[in-house]
Amino acid sequence: MNRFCIVLVIVVLFVSCKKEGSLFKTPTPGETGVNFTNTLTPTDELSILDYLYFYNGGGVSIGDINNDGLPDIFFTGNQVKNKLYLNKGNLEFEDISGTAGIEGNSTWNTGVTMADVNGDGLLDIYVCAVVGINGFNGFNELYINNGDNTFTESAAQYGLDFDSYSSNAAFFDYDLDGDLDLYLLNHAVHTQNSFGKFDLRFERRYETGDKLLRNDNGKFKDVSEEAGIYGGVNGYGLGLAIADFNQDGFPDIYVGNDFHEDDYYYLNNGDGTFTESLRKYFGHTSRFSMGNDVADINNDGRPDFLSLDMLPEDEVALKSSEGDDNIQTQKMRVDRFGYHYQFTRNMLYVNQPDGNFTETALMSGIAATDWSWSALFGDYDQDGRQDVFISNGIPKRPNDLDFIKFASNNEIQKKLDNTKLVDEKALDLMPSGNVHNYTFKGGKNLMFQDTSGDWITKDTLISGATAMGDLDGDGDMDLVTNNIDQPASLYINKVGKKSNYLKIKFNYAPKNRFGIGTKVYSYHNGNLQFKELFPTRGFQASSEPMVHFGYGNAQKVDSLKVIWPDRTYQILKDVSVNQTLTLKPENTKPFDYKTLHKPTKSIFTPVEGNLGLDYTHVEDNYTDFNREKLIPYQVSDRGPALAQGDLNNDGKTDVFFGGSKFFPAQIYVQQDSIFVAQRFDGIQKDSIRENVSATIADFNNDGKNDLFITSGGGDFFGESDALLDACYLQTDSSFSSVQLPEIFQNSSVVRPFDYDGDGDMDVFVGGHTLTAQFGAPATSYLLENNQGQFQLVDSFAKHSKGMVTDAIWSDFDGDGSTDLIVVGEWMSPKFLKNENGTFTETAALDLKGLWQGIAAFDMDRDGDLDYLLGNWGTNSKFKASKEFPMKLYFDDFDDNGQTETVTAMEKNGKYYPLESMDGLTAQLVYLRKKYTSYKSFAGKTMEEIFGKDVLKKSTVLEVNTLKSGYLRNDGGSFVFVPFQNELQVSPITAFLVDDFDGDGSQEVLCGGNFFGVKPYHGRLDSFSGALIKNGETVILGAELGLDFTKKSLRHLQTLELNNQKYLLAVFNDDKAQVYTFKK
Amino acid sequence: MKLRLSLIALVFLALSACQKKEEPIVVTSEDFHKSVDKVVEVMIHDIFSPPVASRIFAYPNIAAYEIIAKKDDKYKSLSGQLTELGDIPAPKDTENINFEMAALVAHIDLSRRLIFSEERVSNFRDSLYTLWSAKNETMFNASKDYGMEVADYIASWMGKDNYKETRTMPKFSVNSDDPSRWQPTPPAYMNGLEPHWAKIRPFAIDSAAQFKPIPPPAFSMEKDSDFYKELMEVYEVRNEMTAKGDASEEVAIAKFWDCNPYVSVTRGHLMFATKKITPGAHWIGITKIACRKADTDFARTVFAYTKTSIAVADGFISCWDEKYRSNLIRPETVINEYIDDSWTPVLQTPPFPEYTSGHSVVSGAASTVLTSIFGDGFSFDDDTETPYGLPVRSFTSFNQAADEAAISRMYGGIHYRAAIEVGIKQGRDLGKFIVDKLDMTKG
Repeated sequence: MNRFCIVLVIVVLFVSCKKEGSLFKTPTPGETGVNFTNTLTPTDELSILDYLYFYNGGGVSIGDINNDGLPDIFFTGNQVKNKLYLNKGNLEFEDISGTAGIEGNSTWNTGVTMADVNGDGLLDIYVCAVVGINGFNGFNELYINNGDNTFTESAAQYGLDFDSYSSNAAFFDYDLDGDLDLYLLNHAVHTQNSFGKFDLRFERRYETGDKLLRNDNGKFKDVSEEAGIYGGVNGYGLGLAIADFNQDGFPDIYVGNDFHEDDYYYLNNGDGTFTESLRKYFGHTSRFSMGNDVADINNDGRPDFLSLDMLPEDEVALKSSEGDDNIQTQKMRVDRFGYHYQFTRNMLYVNQPDGNFTETALMSGIAATDWSWSALFGDYDQDGRQDVFISNGIPKRPNDLDFIKFASNNEIQKKLDNTKLVDEKALDLMPSGNVHNYTFKGGKNLMFQDTSGDWITKDTLISGATAMGDLDGDGDMDLVTNNIDQPASLYINKVGKKSNYLKIKFNYAPKNRFGIGTKVYSYHNGNLQFKELFPTRGFQASSEPMVHFGYGNAQKVDSLKVIWPDRTYQILKDVSVNQTLTLKPENTKPFDYKTLHKPTKSIFTPVEGNLGLDYTHVEDNYTDFNREKLIPYQVSDRGPALAQGDLNNDGKTDVFFGGSKFFPAQIYVQQDSIFVAQRFDGIQKDSIRENVSATIADFNNDGKNDLFITSGGGDFFGESDALLDACYLQTDSSFSSVQLPEIFQNSSVVRPFDYDGDGDMDVFVGGHTLTAQFGAPATSYLLENNQGQFQLVDSFAKHSKGMVTDAIWSDFDGDGSTDLIVVGEWMSPKFLKNENGTFTETAALDLKGLWQGIAAFDMDRDGDLDYLLGNWGTNSKFKASKEFPMKLYFDDFDDNGQTETVTAMEKNGKYYPLESMDGLTAQLVYLRKKYTSYKSFAGKTMEEIFGKDVLKKSTVLEVNTLKSGYLRNDGGSFVFVPFQNELQVSPITAFLVDDFDGDGSQEVLCGGNFFGVKPYHGRLDSFSGALIKNGETVILGAELGLDFTKKSLRHLQTLELNNQKYLLAVFNDDKAQVYTFKK
Repeated sequence: MKLRLSLIALVFLALSACQKKEEPIVVTSEDFHKSVDKVVEVMIHDIFSPPVASRIFAYPNIAAYEIIAKKDDKYKSLSGQLTELGDIPAPKDTENINFEMAALVAHIDLSRRLIFSEERVSNFRDSLYTLWSAKNETMFNASKDYGMEVADYIASWMGKDNYKETRTMPKFSVNSDDPSRWQPTPPAYMNGLEPHWAKIRPFAIDSAAQFKPIPPPAFSMEKDSDFYKELMEVYEVRNEMTAKGDASEEVAIAKFWDCNPYVSVTRGHLMFATKKITPGAHWIGITKIACRKADTDFARTVFAYTKTSIAVADGFISCWDEKYRSNLIRPETVINEYIDDSWTPVLQTPPFPEYTSGHSVVSGAASTVLTSIFGDGFSFDDDTETPYGLPVRSFTSFNQAADEAAISRMYGGIHYRAAIEVGIKQGRDLGKFIVDKLDMTKG
């Protein structure tokens, strides 16, 4: 005890010496009286070895248990007793644990939530426990509030005395019968094999399976099975969010599962059942899903949410920790074991009108916050935008690679078998992960700014469960974290009167007094804010049951729309700020959820049967990363080619889809009202080539159309014929190929044009890559047409080098002669001025991007042509700027006759390789001798790893912008204007200009997404397409009726059939789509 | 100032060297054993796969042997006998060179180049160097210079064996459409290991495919097919062992010959690896035991290690050639898929295709070579695995040990019978070829 006091004094002194954050101060336990410490004591029988969640920490709940207007704090301890602190005002708290009767009887307590379970107007407390493993006993306890600061444990009486592996629980009314039901989150424990198949989730298991419990007059009944809730052996449930995600008035459930099990997204069907719908609406999720939280971050009235993971921000931690799967393991996990795409980083899901979620954490700057437990959104600075607090830390990093590979040996195994305790020395070899808690200030355009170290000081605490409430009654949001081996932290918000607020409490109905499930839409100065009350939030915690809004300088809220759980609503007008409202249902009217959001005017409607274009592109099984293990992205998946033209001389336009390796091209000929697949032997017998681009034109002026295709695929190498581009001339009855110059490479685009004005169609072909030599420039070439004979234009050679992806023939200088603009990856757009058939590069722009496409369009309606450029977007692990371009080093670094490609990016002013130590050293064995541990490699810069001289002599390519945008034509000179963030979530691969909405002027439709990246990057799958009306107005695909999300678009073209215009969208490894549009 | 100090130091050193009497130094077989043990220890730490480990044994041994062959008339150089190996440089200062010392210097230095954690080998080397130079600096310098010269020569030969080139060759591509094709196995689902090892230049055999075995039984889940019967045998053997319990002889045999350098373990939230020696290292260990029992001199010790390690290295090349030709799926994958989804083998399935069994091939090859050196019926107590918590096992002959190593893979649940029986024949044929081909001793 004595020693404890000394430690406490030291801690207190230490804490009180600390500088305070600009937004939050952290008063000491001495000042507040809150001295709860979740002390963990590993023993022979119990440590991280025996229990995988040994370090998950306790829970915390904030709520006013005595209705004195001052929110009180409840902590659960894992091995220590629970504590309840009564708020006495002035940030002074009294420990009433002993008299309150809430200290608990379970061996290992976890999450806690406060709710008025028996409908007497007093907050009761439900404490979860892990029971049945490691000798843990007890059960989940329900403390019914006696109204006199004492509680009576009554779990059995309510049917809630579960003795299973519980981590958290949420009370909410899922069936809208007026009383509170319960979702109980349980967690699995490891089996010997790393994972089984996904269908394990269908087999219910009491100890590990989640449960949905319906409140039947005070008795809770397990309705999981009939409600469609999974309860298997592999649900590592750590995150639980309740929200009406799809805005239909029925609360839905999102469960974040740790490890390999997918997260569960349960949409409430409104009839007492749920439909798990993760795959339908999420392209990918966090992998080691931990806590999560829901809030409307873009002020569109829809609940968005953040799911936490454990990706380190720090370079040393990043490179010495086990990361994502290798690509083959991931494929196996998805294809063979049936799991969804999961990646190790925080995921920020932005809710779209079509029910899909656009995942933007990397772009939003919030993807890497290390070993993160709890996320809590709140408008901490009260500027009208949601900020976020993320608690963080692990005492020992068990995923440290040096520990996994080198520290561990027989000694540990023997120790394990005999004593069941990890060797102290071995534990010491695991680095500490006591990374600071994070705060982020929410900004416009989906962006978050890291304010840790400013708003709060950077601590070395291990903080887990976090709850929010207004502890000092000054109107702003304070926070409490439950810490391991340290006193709990109170983060007291100091924003005070600097910014305005509104606090709203509810006095709803007897069985749901606090109004759980109530929605509030707040409007001020044309700004919308949206909140929905579900107090179980973050991780193993519940927050004060109220809704809080910030308003900046605004003095008045124009209106509040309150929608009650029973689907009635009321509106309050002209509400003054800086007050606490307690609202009860008054003059309510039934609410029609169909009117919640203004109906989207979808422009595009899918055509049933696709007009007969029943074409599905099948990409072959080739994986670039198996051969070129260090390249930043794949090049083998750029197909299929698409071209339109009359191929059977009936005067009607037919459609050509290029093949991929061993899948022949397909041609659909136009008939009266439909397209029908037809075989063209001369073209289709060639099934080995992978066609990336194609064009149909009459090259030999014989009145019949011919076909030109470019070949790629990234698989064939050397002087393989399959790498040659091809031109098929139409003869009387068939097609025969003509000789083209032998250029062995992966070509990209083909763009025909009569550039020399001699009456026949010449051809530009873009060269993309050389197989197995990523970084070496390919050769673009110009073919001059001499009566059907193509000749290489030698003078074009000086413009030929680069990784070209697209090109456009366009008179960019308005001199009446059509010029050529060429774009590509790791290069700036090339403007080639055409003067009587001779090309000169002009208008050099320093705009090195990973350009995917170009289109001409008058964006600013000033009469001249601007150029839209599709780039990689900013929502990936890639990072590039003018000051710190992304770099690609290309050389045979180890002198073995095979080149390597090393990508490097800047972090804090220094360049680091993108690849892990294992990735690099598997290719460059000499580095494995230089770095004999992960520790020695982690945090080393490119120069330290490779040496200045080696880097100097290698070929270096750069990218200095990743944003898509347009080149504004300012009287012949071009200025790059980036698109807004909604268009930067994925690579943009295709543009199409037309009048889609029938307003008489043209718009641009664009789409994208790309999956050819390693699991470290994830899947760039979130872009739903967009209609760009001009620089200002952008309508996202989710509102347009387009089904582009989670698909990788390659081409957009309009198609005409019987004088009706259609949109044709062609995807890689997916089915083509045909839409009608308003005209 | 600094220069003057070092000059003084030099003079002082020179004087003291002159004054000191130089003693003769005898480098013994035990010294060589120690060097081999050191390499084994570092290899375990650094985690080398079995094929790569076999290469690390072979080159340093060959370097040492070639030096010994320069001195000892009883031994013939391997120059011209091993693929592309020429004559090592002739010793110049023959008067002062201690050939055993030079052999050990070369062994240590090549080993250092081949492993990753050089520091561990350098420390070992430096302690020897200090000792030798203190006793007889002239002899030490002459021997060291020659040892290093030969090490350089062997290194340049080694540099052309395609090892570096195979690093950047494509990974084994997983294709789950073919039910017979190898798939990564639990729990770590590692990529197929060394898919291009057959492209490594062989030492004594003509080509990787020289001992190409008959194809494995064709994949079939028809009940009367050979494949299915062999699959069920693995399944049943495991079940019988489970019934007998952990103390059964089969479990003891399986564990004794596990020889998996990297077994990944997940306990709670914790991941770590248990590491053991490779199959090749186990036979190198048996070579040491035999040398000690037969009390071989330095030259014969080096000879025994060299010939055995060549057989092991070529054995892996030959075996890997077949593994990535047949690309056969492991029993664990098939049993989990078709028979019992919770079945686990006694040993962790190693990350490469099934056919033929690597341990069977190299045990066949190594035992044949050892029998040719030490004779048939050479009994020994095998304590190679005691550092890894396993007991001593006694064998009446190398061949008996090899047979047990081979069948251990069935008990381990990681191989079908064909891989074991065909594998050990493949290894013995290869071993016999090496015994016949390599002309190393005179008279």
